[in-house]
Amino acid sequence: MTQSLGKFLLAIDGSSLPDRNLIGGKAWSIARMRGLGLSVPPAFVITAEACTAYLDSGALPPELAGELDAGITWLEAVSGARFGAGPQPLLVSVRSGAAISMPGMMDTVLNLGINEATEVALGALAGDAAFARDTHRRFLDLYARIVLKATLPELGEDVAPSALAETIRAETGEAVPSEPRAQLLAAVQAVFESWNSRRARKYRQHHGIPDSLGTAVTVQAMVFGNLDDHSGTGVLFSRNPLTGEPAPYGEYLARAQGEDVVSGRFTPQPLAALAAQQPGIHAELLAAAATLERENGDVQDIEFTVQQGRLYLLQTRAAKRAPAAAVRFAMDMLDEGRLDQATAFSRVSAEQVRSVLSPCVAPAAAASATVLASGEPACQGAGVGVIVVNTDEAERRALAGEQVVLARSTTSPDDVHGMIACNALATEHGGTTSHAALVSRSLGKPCVVGCGEGTVTALVGQIVTVDGASGKIYAGALPVTVPDENADPALARLIAWAEALSPIAVLAEAPAGPLLDLNAVAGGEDADKLPALLPGHTVAKGGAIASNAGVRAALAAGIKTICASPRLPVLLAAIEAARELQSNTVNDE
Amino acid sequence: MNEMHLALHGVAIKKHAPAHAVAAVVGLAVEQVEALLKDATATGRLLEAQGGYALTPAGRMILDSQYSRFCDAQREDAAFIKAYERFERVNVELKQLITDWQTLDVGGQKVRNDHSNAEYDAKVLDRLGDVHERFEPVLAQLAQGLPRLARYGQKLEAALEQAEAGKVEWVSDAKLESYHTVWFELHEDLLRVLGRVREE
Repeated sequence: MTQSLGKFLLAIDGSSLPDRNLIGGKAWSIARMRGLGLSVPPAFVITAEACTAYLDSGALPPELAGELDAGITWLEAVSGARFGAGPQPLLVSVRSGAAISMPGMMDTVLNLGINEATEVALGALAGDAAFARDTHRRFLDLYARIVLKATLPELGEDVAPSALAETIRAETGEAVPSEPRAQLLAAVQAVFESWNSRRARKYRQHHGIPDSLGTAVTVQAMVFGNLDDHSGTGVLFSRNPLTGEPAPYGEYLARAQGEDVVSGRFTPQPLAALAAQQPGIHAELLAAAATLERENGDVQDIEFTVQQGRLYLLQTRAAKRAPAAAVRFAMDMLDEGRLDQATAFSRVSAEQVRSVLSPCVAPAAAASATVLASGEPACQGAGVGVIVVNTDEAERRALAGEQVVLARSTTSPDDVHGMIACNALATEHGGTTSHAALVSRSLGKPCVVGCGEGTVTALVGQIVTVDGASGKIYAGALPVTVPDENADPALARLIAWAEALSPIAVLAEAPAGPLLDLNAVAGGEDADKLPALLPGHTVAKGGAIASNAGVRAALAAGIKTICASPRLPVLLAAIEAARELQSNTVNDE
Repeated sequence: MNEMHLALHGVAIKKHAPAHAVAAVVGLAVEQVEALLKDATATGRLLEAQGGYALTPAGRMILDSQYSRFCDAQREDAAFIKAYERFERVNVELKQLITDWQTLDVGGQKVRNDHSNAEYDAKVLDRLGDVHERFEPVLAQLAQGLPRLARYGQKLEAALEQAEAGKVEWVSDAKLESYHTVWFELHEDLLRVLGRVREE
């Protein structure tokens, strides 16, 4: 059983996992991490039952003040610090924690417990009076905004805490309590009050959430990464989110707080810096990352702080990843037995594979090339050719074997035959939702839009390279790399598995026999028109067939074979579409 | 304010509006406002066109010259002025919020928000809800000095609730009594009562 500190208080010590409804999402995830043996800043939770009691009676339950004292005493014991007092002050964060997050609930108050005396003690401990003053100021500012709901005049970041406190008193008619326990009680009461804020009530009404549920309050020790040379802060990815390489990747900044990194005032160092300075902490961090990745079944992005030689994990979530990394993560984790095949597939989208396989300009060549025009990237990929401004001419010359880039002021449905024939497209007007952008995406054709009046059409006759990823048009024919899906071992395996799961066949070359070529059909480039064009056919290629919407339409129309290259994005789109169709059928029943 | 001055004040806030809209903004009966505006039209203070009333240059001059007489109480009320200063502070926040509502940052470029990203809209709306809640006590302070201002609170809340119910046009559409429309009128009202000039 999680240690009880009274009728309404639970210490989150990891010994068990209490009901999420009782303690709220934040406390629940802290409890879960503690249960895994991970080091998280210590916390206790005031259960939602205290909120219910408050709402019923209109006053804080009489036991609560005493129980909060017990909670603080417990936090002091496990953290070795004293609440709001030196020499090692304990400050806490106070946050609302309903089982379901909803608008209108109180935001988190940080650094609660600080006052004039605590500021002096914290400054002495960190050897940095300015940091302590700033911590005090930020607490007063948050307390005024969140607990007192004040809109203060802009005083800047250099205002003295005493002046800020005086302004708050003048503005609100209320003083921020200087006594830490009084601060805590007021913040807890404000969380309870926020349960009945207009927005929270509306939200519950709308979503059928009972008003009687109430919110829990999580009180957690603050940790500081700037107290001494054995302190610091950083971010760790359990694998490299750029390349997908199965090696931890991260940054660390010694003697700093998270906001120092975010502000860009300091440049963090690679994780190796932590390994050199505190090898034990580094090893503990990597072990924690491995545990979290295993438990959560996905690559993790972890924020951490080291305080006085002790590691604390602040937050973990599924890592954002580059397209290439998404492919590698899924394949590696499948091989490692961490994911089943279906889950691995769900982690790689057709869009990501399209991005990995799209032709790209060699970076070194792009760096030294002349930029003739630039606009908004509309469809990635790179294409080389001579600029032609007349659509019929573009089609004629392309069919004769010339490499052509079509440049237009804007495009309309009359230009589609030229867009199909050319290597790339550029326009002068329109944004990412213009006709040119929409059609180029459904055709998978590199495209840059909105380059400006008189820019790209003036380049008629010149050889250019269109880079649909960066939105730039370069002079000359730059080397373009076209990734081969069959040459990349990870992609080749993915293709083999995807073929087994795909409800339709996808071929790179058209087979003998009847075939619908959408490039030769009016409207074939428009995925919205495919449902009308496809019925009656079994094999199709060209037009918008290889886009996600095209594949969905093909499945619905009973197409058995799509001819397209590269094949993998189409296979993945088909598997995604089949899954959607299936879940819709289930929902219909 | 006497009732004629109040009716003309309402016309100044609405710029060009029918009697019922002027009545709604100043809180007088529609028939009474109708009669007052007709009188003012007869004496050349207003123009009636396309079903709405607007101030003539002479009407505007007379209206403006009478504020000091009718709004003395507010202009000398320190608590009212303090509340007005708080309004201006919230106004800075609101203007930023409306900008964020109308535009999206796409790769460093500002583009028009087409409201297809529900998650983005929900975040801005949540901020608007927060601003509204922090503004409520400020409006209460203003209404202590000038009770008719409380009407703006009801209109703001009604617009906010429409927006929260998914009708996104109620945030800033100038053709509706959207949150921003009502806010703007309140701002105009306060500036006129206190004899201040809008700072941009």
